[in-house]
Amino acid sequence: MKIREAGQQMAAAVFHHGSQSQAPLTPEQMAQANEHEKEFIAHFSDTQRPLAPGEVAESPRNKELGKSSKGLSIRDFELVRTLGTGTFARVWLVRLANPAEEDRDKVFALKVLRKVEVIKLKQVDHVNHERSVLADVAGHPFITTLITSFSDHDSLYMLLDYCPGGEVFSYLRKAKRFDENTSRFYAAEIVLILEYLHEREGVAYRDLKPENLLLDGEGHIKLVDFGFAKRLGNSEQQKHGKKSKGNVNIVPGETYTLCGTPEYLAPEVIQSKGHTTAVDWWALGILIYEFLTGYPPFWNSNPIEIYKQIVSKPVHFPNEPAISPEAKDIIRQFCTVDRSKRLGNISGGAARVKEHPFFNGVIWEDVYYRKYRGPIIPPIRYPGDAQCFDTYPDEKAGREPYSDELKRKWEDHFKDF
Amino acid sequence: MSLSSASLDVIDSLRKEILKNNPTDLIQFCANYFTRQLELERSHFLSSLNTQGTKMSGSTFPGRFGSNSNPFGGATTNAGEQVGSGQISKVMEEDETDTITSPTSPNFNFGNSGGQFGAPFGGDASGEGPPSSFKAADGFPSQYGMGRRTSVSAESLNPTAASNDNWSPPFHHKTEEQLQRLKKSISGNFLFSHLDDEQSAQVLGALVEKAIPAKGIKVITQGDEGDYFYVVEKGSFVVYVNKSGSLQPGPAGLGEEVATIRPGGSFGELALMYNAPRAATVMSAEAGCTLWALDRITFRRILMDSTFQRRRLYESFLEEVPLLASLTKYERSKIADALETHKYPSGTTIIKEGDAGEAFYLLESGQAEAYKSGTQGAVKQYTKGDYFGELALLNDAPRAASVISKTEVKVAKLGKDGFQRLLGPVESIMRRTKYDEGVEEIDPLHKK
Ligand SMILES: Nc1ncnc2c1ncn2[C@@H]1O[C@H](COP(=O)(O)OP(=O)(O)O)[C@@H](O)[C@H]1O
Ligand SMILES: [Mg+2]
Repeated sequence: MKIREAGQQMAAAVFHHGSQSQAPLTPEQMAQANEHEKEFIAHFSDTQRPLAPGEVAESPRNKELGKSSKGLSIRDFELVRTLGTGTFARVWLVRLANPAEEDRDKVFALKVLRKVEVIKLKQVDHVNHERSVLADVAGHPFITTLITSFSDHDSLYMLLDYCPGGEVFSYLRKAKRFDENTSRFYAAEIVLILEYLHEREGVAYRDLKPENLLLDGEGHIKLVDFGFAKRLGNSEQQKHGKKSKGNVNIVPGETYTLCGTPEYLAPEVIQSKGHTTAVDWWALGILIYEFLTGYPPFWNSNPIEIYKQIVSKPVHFPNEPAISPEAKDIIRQFCTVDRSKRLGNISGGAARVKEHPFFNGVIWEDVYYRKYRGPIIPPIRYPGDAQCFDTYPDEKAGREPYSDELKRKWEDHFKDF
Repeated sequence: MSLSSASLDVIDSLRKEILKNNPTDLIQFCANYFTRQLELERSHFLSSLNTQGTKMSGSTFPGRFGSNSNPFGGATTNAGEQVGSGQISKVMEEDETDTITSPTSPNFNFGNSGGQFGAPFGGDASGEGPPSSFKAADGFPSQYGMGRRTSVSAESLNPTAASNDNWSPPFHHKTEEQLQRLKKSISGNFLFSHLDDEQSAQVLGALVEKAIPAKGIKVITQGDEGDYFYVVEKGSFVVYVNKSGSLQPGPAGLGEEVATIRPGGSFGELALMYNAPRAATVMSAEAGCTLWALDRITFRRILMDSTFQRRRLYESFLEEVPLLASLTKYERSKIADALETHKYPSGTTIIKEGDAGEAFYLLESGQAEAYKSGTQGAVKQYTKGDYFGELALLNDAPRAASVISKTEVKVAKLGKDGFQRLLGPVESIMRRTKYDEGVEEIDPLHKK
């Protein structure tokens, strides 16, 4: 224990916060930083326990989490296999290269984004938001932890805690649909995530869907992919003029960039009305619907037809499966076009959501401290077991290089990694 | 304290295994050993369940319809037990019955084997195969694509007012007749139908004319990136869809002809939302066609800038209202969200003396006057930035005066209902500060 703490302190000394650039290190300093950082990441999980929402940002351990690393590089990791490919990234299961005996089982998820792709897909701002929001929320029990980040000539890397249970998406498609208790369990953990992100951090997540919900080893939710997360001007921190780890400027409470996943987009996003954290409550309504029926309420192979439905049609429930009145009610209240009537956005915020009859009997304290048992316990046989993940084709060869010209124009935008 | 015989058995057999194998990595060896044991035990347990035909359902999760007819489930029958074995089961309540196969393997089937789920899926779900076997008869839309959905995103834009550049939308002159026609063709479109007059005027102004001189010119190509939306002014265009998802070389590469677009028709609207591959190829069907074109960035900036400015304007108006002085910036921004803009010609009675008040108004532009029965002439003048009727938020007292527009006016209206839904009762907000002095001085409409 003592040694670990010392290791953490050393790590603290060498990690630097992304935004403050410093003089380049000598090779010896680099090597030293590299050692300490490896020590830190190998032991980051040793002291893990759920921290109270107020503690997440304050705890000394968490202060070290999520910072940009100086000494690490891709050579410090062994890439085991691909865990997933999303729209912009490939996520690898990795292990420390040449681990110490006791660290042989330590595995991580490494999200790799190629700079060329990020630039081409116009995600430069988003990637920076992703890193900075993840760093600020590191340590929340239901959010994947950003341990550290680094970059090299071609790519940006985010080292995340490995969530071995795989995507809720996989379980949902296999099971076809979830029953109400299962849906309630996941919905409850998500309510706590949204409460924390919106009301404490002032962050809109903007891409809620089963593909971005992973399960940890015990079957609890881990939210991944903060690629569209955005800090808005409505956190408690701003209200009370407090500063967080990131730099909080006074920003407006709404934002304008259209992003998300077609079936889950809120009407105000589609119609470019400026949107707020209220979009996540809309998406939670869609998500609960999809849990219970197996498909989202608005769908079509042509996205334009989805959008037409979203802005004009009320949610319709099928005859089968039978859905309880309280589940229907909470879905309808979330999927309300008028934001002054949408549950979660109206007075009371998340507290009001928790009081909804759909969550009758739920003890929220116990949800937060993971006292309820997950409805699906992922079948994990050993620490680096990835059988809960689908397999993916290898990356295509012959990718466009990050040219000097691109580098001149963009490199400065990636300095926080 | 001594160990139970079961525990001793476990330790003993582990001891034997260790002796037999003499492992170098002891802890890993033990971990593997117990994982294997666990698998064995589970599969025994599961097969015993299957032979008995029993499901573990309902034991930890009360079923959807509970044991009574109360729509809120078992919560009322067993309030005490609810804590322990409520809607969501707690850790370690009973033997785990995990399936050992992974969710991605074809024989993963937790519907059938899992006590974790408690209540079974509505009958038809348990024990069935993977999603590919879904039938429409299950209540499943047979055409719904079950694959992973990718995210979409437009480029991030910052409002002009917030980023100090001087962007203003392009303006291309059109005749009144052209404008009317354009208005008609886009007004029913969900991307335009909600625009206010200014936004709509800017969007119409930004549409740029594009001549398509010859027949057979591909305006958009299936599979290509899309940045423009088009309205047909003159001529006609044919739409082709190739099943492969993109235009292919060769004469058949266009794919199937699916539609013809004539004057007033439009295409390519998805490009106004984000950059997605074009879903079809659109080609001119005759010579001498004309289109109006609008690009995504221009469209989105017009909407964004006007919304941004309007919201900041509302927020600054709201800051001036003493009744709402104690609102935080965040609360004001929420309220700004709920304000509705209305336009009235001059001479309109916006609120009427004696009526029940249920909304409050901010004057965005123009002038208005307050009149009271029994008093000659206007008792108060309102200009841009003034507000009236805010006491309606506070109580149901009848309006103490009428407010009539003196010119054409634009007002932002905030209903009492909307206000209360978003922020709760005004009384409690007022309690935050000492607003109780001089309500009357602030609002002449207050009734004695
Ligand atoms: N921490 C993690 N542990 C395990 N798998 C992960 C982790 N993070 C992401 N993944 C997998 O990788 C996929 C893509 O990651 P994501 O962050 O969503 O990338 P994108 O931004 O490209 O959508 C996820 O859907 C998930 O399957
Ligand atoms: Mg994703």
